[in-house]
Amino acid sequence: MTAVIEQIGRSGLNAARASRDTLTFAFRVLARMFDVRAYNSAVRKVLINQIYFTSVQILPLFLAVAVIFGAIVIGIIGQYLIHLGLFYYFGQLLMGFVVTEFAPFITVLLIALRSSSAINAEIAVMKVNKELNTLHVFRIDVINYLFLPRILSGILSVVLLSWLFSIIVLTSGLIFSALLFDMSINDYVTVLLVSANFSDIIVMLVKCATMGFFIVMIPIRYGLRATDELTSIPISVLHGMVNVFIAIMIIEVVSLIVMSLIKKLI
Amino acid sequence: MGREKDHLGLVSLDAPLISNLSVLSNIALIKQYHGRLSVREAEDIAKMYLTKLHLEDIATKRNPVLLEEQRFCVMVLRAVMVENAMVVIDRPFKIMSDLDDTRFIRDVLTSVEDLFQECHVFDYLWNEKRYAGGMIHGA
Repeated sequence: MTAVIEQIGRSGLNAARASRDTLTFAFRVLARMFDVRAYNSAVRKVLINQIYFTSVQILPLFLAVAVIFGAIVIGIIGQYLIHLGLFYYFGQLLMGFVVTEFAPFITVLLIALRSSSAINAEIAVMKVNKELNTLHVFRIDVINYLFLPRILSGILSVVLLSWLFSIIVLTSGLIFSALLFDMSINDYVTVLLVSANFSDIIVMLVKCATMGFFIVMIPIRYGLRATDELTSIPISVLHGMVNVFIAIMIIEVVSLIVMSLIKKLI
Repeated sequence: MGREKDHLGLVSLDAPLISNLSVLSNIALIKQYHGRLSVREAEDIAKMYLTKLHLEDIATKRNPVLLEEQRFCVMVLRAVMVENAMVVIDRPFKIMSDLDDTRFIRDVLTSVEDLFQECHVFDYLWNEKRYAGGMIHGA
């Protein structure tokens, strides 16, 4: 019994230490983000490359997913609302569910699956190959040169692709509402504008930026934990990705709580 | 010690080339980062010295596909990109295992001697005979 309690305590302490380390690292990176001296042509070049890898290369898959999922979700939601006689809430569902919840979640999931795992493996490989040692020897700050552009690209990608996803879904909503529900463009736009809530959009932006930050920062941290052995690479990717998904869930829950608190206050 | 560290240009397998950067980017990185040069300016300098060593063909290649001699040259060029470089070559015969003597190393260093202040070579004592021909003046 004592051993079990000790084990729980040890696990709790380890989890607390890991969270503290992650948050400390996050604050260090955040502080560097606002330091103008951190940016030079080398960092800008990495940033442009990362935006290309994270946001542009994913576009064909992303657009296909947005069109397919958007059409399915809007079709199902619309049919159910008509069936239940609640079509009045169509706009609120589009803005409240699709734009603020569904779009960021699918976007962050796609970017995490594609880019977070790649970044985790890349940093781990650099550690194993002693390439991080090279940067240290030549006095190139790894936070500035390696981490900052990747994290910035993560933030920009999640925010912009979430917007793109929302626009595509709302456009397919326009087509569906005209074809299935005989809704005119004017009515559709009015429904959306009436349902649009400024605070929801702000919370969505902050949520996207926070998710973008953590889905890149966590893989970087776990990539750095790789040892000198090649076998440590898959282990670091595995732990990194599990923690990325835990972070996504935590941010989702926190954003829902914040959103409901804001609504209560308003 | 701090001042020397600022000018250290290490040529060693413990400080390998960055494998996801091209040869050109590996060399230009130092000038971009510390000299605050633009990508084009830094790459022009890197190209000039690659051409001087007749290595312009490998500018777009990456570390894993380089021959040992090519890798050594790129590491030297990267090291001399450090301002007032103090080049330290760590076990050159480990970087180029097929080399018999120091002639190649000497030729490479002579080609870029205007770019570094001093050069130190560290190696095992049992390789002493391979250095019989000497290195470079000041090295």
